Amino acid sequence: MRAREVYVSGFGLVAPMALDAATLFERICRKQSCVREHPRFQALGFRNSAAGFIDEAQWQKIAAGFGGNAALHPRQSVLAEYVARQALQHAGLTPADFAHSRSGLFLGANKYCADSDDLQRVSRCMDDAGRVDLDRLLDHPAPSGSAFVRRVDQQTQHLADWLGIRDCISTHSDACAAGTMAIGSAFRAIERGEVDLAICGAVELMANELPYYMFNSLGALCQADLPAGEQSRPFMPDRSGFVLSEGAALVILESAEHARRRKARPLGRVLGYANVCEAQKMTSSSRDGSKYEECMDAAIEDAGLLRSAVQHVNTHGTSTQANDSCEALALQRLFGECQDFMTFTANKSAMGHSLAGSGAIEAVLSLMTLRDGVLLPTLNYEPERAEYPSLKFLSEPMRQSINVVMSNSFGFGGVNSSLVLGRA
Amino acid sequence: MNRPLYINAAAVLNAAGSECADLLGTPPVPQPLTFDLQRKALALPVPRLASDLFDRKIQRSVEPQGLRLLHCAARLAPALAALQLPAARIALTAAIPEVDAPSPCWDAVQAILEQPHKQLSQLLANTPPLHALTLLNSSVMAYVAEALNCHGPMGGFCSQDNAGLDALIEACQQIAERHADAALVVSSSPNLTPALYLREPDLADEPVYGEGAAALLLSSKPLQDATQVLRVAGFARGYSADPQRTLAVGKRVIERALSKEKLCVGDVANLVANPADRQLMSLFESTPQCLRSVSAMTGELGASGLLTEVAMTLHHSREAGAVPGYTLLVSHGRAGHWGALLLASENLEKYA
Repeated sequence: MRAREVYVSGFGLVAPMALDAATLFERICRKQSCVREHPRFQALGFRNSAAGFIDEAQWQKIAAGFGGNAALHPRQSVLAEYVARQALQHAGLTPADFAHSRSGLFLGANKYCADSDDLQRVSRCMDDAGRVDLDRLLDHPAPSGSAFVRRVDQQTQHLADWLGIRDCISTHSDACAAGTMAIGSAFRAIERGEVDLAICGAVELMANELPYYMFNSLGALCQADLPAGEQSRPFMPDRSGFVLSEGAALVILESAEHARRRKARPLGRVLGYANVCEAQKMTSSSRDGSKYEECMDAAIEDAGLLRSAVQHVNTHGTSTQANDSCEALALQRLFGECQDFMTFTANKSAMGHSLAGSGAIEAVLSLMTLRDGVLLPTLNYEPERAEYPSLKFLSEPMRQSINVVMSNSFGFGGVNSSLVLGRA
Repeated sequence: MNRPLYINAAAVLNAAGSECADLLGTPPVPQPLTFDLQRKALALPVPRLASDLFDRKIQRSVEPQGLRLLHCAARLAPALAALQLPAARIALTAAIPEVDAPSPCWDAVQAILEQPHKQLSQLLANTPPLHALTLLNSSVMAYVAEALNCHGPMGGFCSQDNAGLDALIEACQQIAERHADAALVVSSSPNLTPALYLREPDLADEPVYGEGAAALLLSSKPLQDATQVLRVAGFARGYSADPQRTLAVGKRVIERALSKEKLCVGDVANLVANPADRQLMSLFESTPQCLRSVSAMTGELGASGLLTEVAMTLHHSREAGAVPGYTLLVSHGRAGHWGALLLASENLEKYA
C-alpha cells in the first residue's frame, strides 16, 4: 500500500454529441459514433470533412451553465467551468472546498489555433510592407474568442480563480498525452503530500481548419472514403489515420484521508502512473513498441502490481498505422499469456482524437468501466478481420466486473504516459 | 528532499549575449519593433543550430522561440554527456509558453494579405508538413530529447512566466523521487510578435519585453572535480489572483521554500527578485539582502526569466572569491503566481 492513497471522487466531461459522461458512455455502449461531417470543413471544401466537434446546440447549453457572460470569455474557459461544475457536483464539493484545502489544479492544453476568421481579421490590419499595424488592431480589439488575444493557460487561470485554488496550478502542454500527464501530476502531488485535493484533466478545442491542415499535411488524418462514423478504425488493418476531435474532461482526486474526513464516496483510485520520453521519431514510436512497453511496465510497477493484475486496457488507439501497430506489439509483448484473460478498448473509435482532451476523457470512461462493470466496445472493429487477434477488442459492450484498468496516451514527439486505475 | 540536487551547468541566450558574464556588462538598448516602430523591445536574431546535433530541417521548420531553446540546450550536451548516465535516467522538462499562435498563423496572415482573393484552404494547401509540428510544444521537446539523448520522464509546461518554475520543480521532483538521476530543464521567452502585445494591452504597465532562452542541467551528483557546488535547497509555489490574499500567499511560499533548511528570511544572503514589484519587495523591507536581477539586461523574458536568473546565480557561485551562502529567488507573476527557489552555494568539502 502507498503512503498516501489517491481516490477519485468525481468527474465531468463534454465530448462531441455528449454533454456529460453518462451520455457519452451510453452512446459508446450503443455503438453510436460521435464523429460527423463538420459543416465548416464542408464549407471550406475539404476533401474529408469528418470530425468530432462540439456543435452550436451544445455550446448554447454550455454557455447557459456558465457563471458569467460567456461571450466575454474564450470558449476554452467556458467549457472548463462547465465541466468543472459537473465534476464538483459529482464529488459533492463546492469551490469553497478548494479555497479552504491544500488544493491544486492540473490542466492539459495545447496551443490555441487561429481559424480563418482570425487570420482574415489580422490581415486587414497589415500595411503594404507586411507589417501588422498593432495600434489599429488594439483600437479594434478582436472578440475575446480570437486566438490572437488568448493565452494557452487562460482556462487554467479562469478555473483557478473560480475555485480559489491556492497551492499548485500548472498547465501541461504535452501534445496528446497532456490530459493523462495532468492527472498523473495531480496524483503525484497528492501522493507526496503537496496537496490534499486536486482537479485535473484537459480542455482541447482543435477541431478547426488550421489543425486540420497541419495534421493533414503530415498524413496523420484519415483519408478513407467512408462515412464519417466509420473512419476511426483503431487496430483494424484498413485504418488510415485519426479523426480530429475536441472535448474536455476533469477528474477530482483527493487523498484517502481527505475523502474519509468529508465522508466522500470514492468512485475509483489512481494506483500508478508513468511517463517516458522516447523521441524516437517525431510522429511515430519505436517500431517494435518497446518504448510504449517500457512506459506501461513502469506504470504497473509504480502501482505495485503484477502485469497479471491488469484486466483491461483503454488503449491510445488513434487509428493511425504507426501508433496502433506499435501499441499492439507493446501490449502483446508486455502482457504475453495474460492477454487471454484481458480485454481492450479504443475509445477514439467513437470520439475521434481530441489530443490533450483524449487522455482525460478516456480516464473518465475507464473509471466508469471500473465503477459500473461494463466494458466498452471498440466501434468499427471486426474481430474476424483483426490484425492483432490476441488482443481482445470487444465489438459489443460486455458486462464484467473488473478491478484494474490501464489507460494509455502516447503523444507526438514521444511523450508517453500510462495511468493505472483501480476500483474503489 | 531525500536526495541532494545540484545545478551543474547552465546556458543562456538573450539580448545581452550568450554567456552569463555578458549579463554583467552594459545593458543593451531596446530597439523599435519591426511591426510597430513606436514600441521598443530587446529582440534577438534567430540563432543557428549546431549541425552536428540537429538536422538542418529543424533550423528551417521550428519557430524562433523553439530555436532559441534548442540553441541553449545544445550547449549543455557536453556536461550532460560527462555524467555518463543511461538515457532512461535523464528527465527533460520544458517551459514553452507560446503566445504568438503557431508560426503558420502568421504565414497565413501574410498570404491572405498578398492574395486576398484566394480561399484559406488554397493558401494552406502547401503548408510544409513540419509546420504541423509547431502546433505542439512537444515537438521542440522531442528535438532536445533526440539530440541530447534524454529518454526519462518528460514534462512540458505553458503557464506563461510561471512555466519556468513549473518545469524546474518538476525536474527536481523527478530526481528527488528517483525517477531520474539528472534532468535537463529548458525554457524560452515568447517571440516578439503582435500577439504578445494584443494579450497584454495595458500600455501603462507594458514592460520592455526581451527574447531569450535558458537551460539548466540538474543532477543528483555534483560535477566531477567540483570544489564549489550550487545545491537546490528548497522550493515552493502558490497562487492567488485576489489582491487581498496575494501577500499572504507570497509570504507562505517564501516560508515553505526556506523551511527545509530551517531558515528565516534574514539567513539568506542574496535575493533575486524584480525590484520593480512593490508587493514582492514589501516582503523583504525589514531584512535587507543583496538584491539582484538581470531583467534590465535582458528585458522581460517570461518563462525563461527564472532560469536565466538561476544561471546567473550559478555563475556568481563560481566566481573567484565567491562566498558560500544562500540565494533566494522569488517570482511573482502578474497573473497571481508566486514561486520561491532556495539555492545554496557550498564548498564541496562539506560532503567529502
